[in-house]
Amino acid sequence: MAIYKVSFVIVGSNDPGAILNMSRAPVVGERVKLGGKTYQVVEVLNLIPPRGEFHYIHVTCKSVKAGESSDLPSN
Amino acid sequence: MDELKEILRSVEIFDGLEAAEIEQVGLICKERRLHSGEIITSQGEAGNEFYIVTQGFVEVALGEGGVPSRVVINLGAGQIIGEMALLDQGPRSATVRAIDEPTIVQVLQRDDFERLCQGNYHIGYVVMRNIAADLSFKLRHRNLSER
Repeated sequence: MAIYKVSFVIVGSNDPGAILNMSRAPVVGERVKLGGKTYQVVEVLNLIPPRGEFHYIHVTCKSVKAGESSDLPSN
Repeated sequence: MDELKEILRSVEIFDGLEAAEIEQVGLICKERRLHSGEIITSQGEAGNEFYIVTQGFVEVALGEGGVPSRVVINLGAGQIIGEMALLDQGPRSATVRAIDEPTIVQVLQRDDFERLCQGNYHIGYVVMRNIAADLSFKLRHRNLSER
């Protein structure tokens, strides 16, 4: 069972970003919901080599304007 | 207990523990359900417990005079809170509050945890190594957020 520990950084805003575990890695273009806000993924990188079942991912996102949000499940 | 063991298996600080060791950790965990806005730790106060977020989100904020003014990160499922006070026994370094409804955490008392580690050095070694790796990951996140 792979677990993806993901560091989210939000560009172009003062949003501090987030860290959380996910069951799969995000992909570029996907929208993710973090703490009630929706963002679009613009970059995905392997941050450090995997260890055991854990994969370490860094994701850069941009904010999605009001009205653009879709009904994506939060993680 | 089976559900809790599954949750703990997905938390990085317990990666590398045997099933029986995970069960021992589960025995000292207590679930706490929080409403959005509820404070978990307050910057500057003494702390003798640490937390694992199992559902929802928390925000970590820094400030002065006990008043949080700047959110530095949000933490979601699988992340730990309060580990600095666990390691150095200093005051809380930040104010942490729930921002999702509901937010659920597992609470571990420092004394219970230290007793467990002293009784089983393998648990102590694995968890401390993983806490160090978690702190390193948070530093990498912070460095990248300042690019």
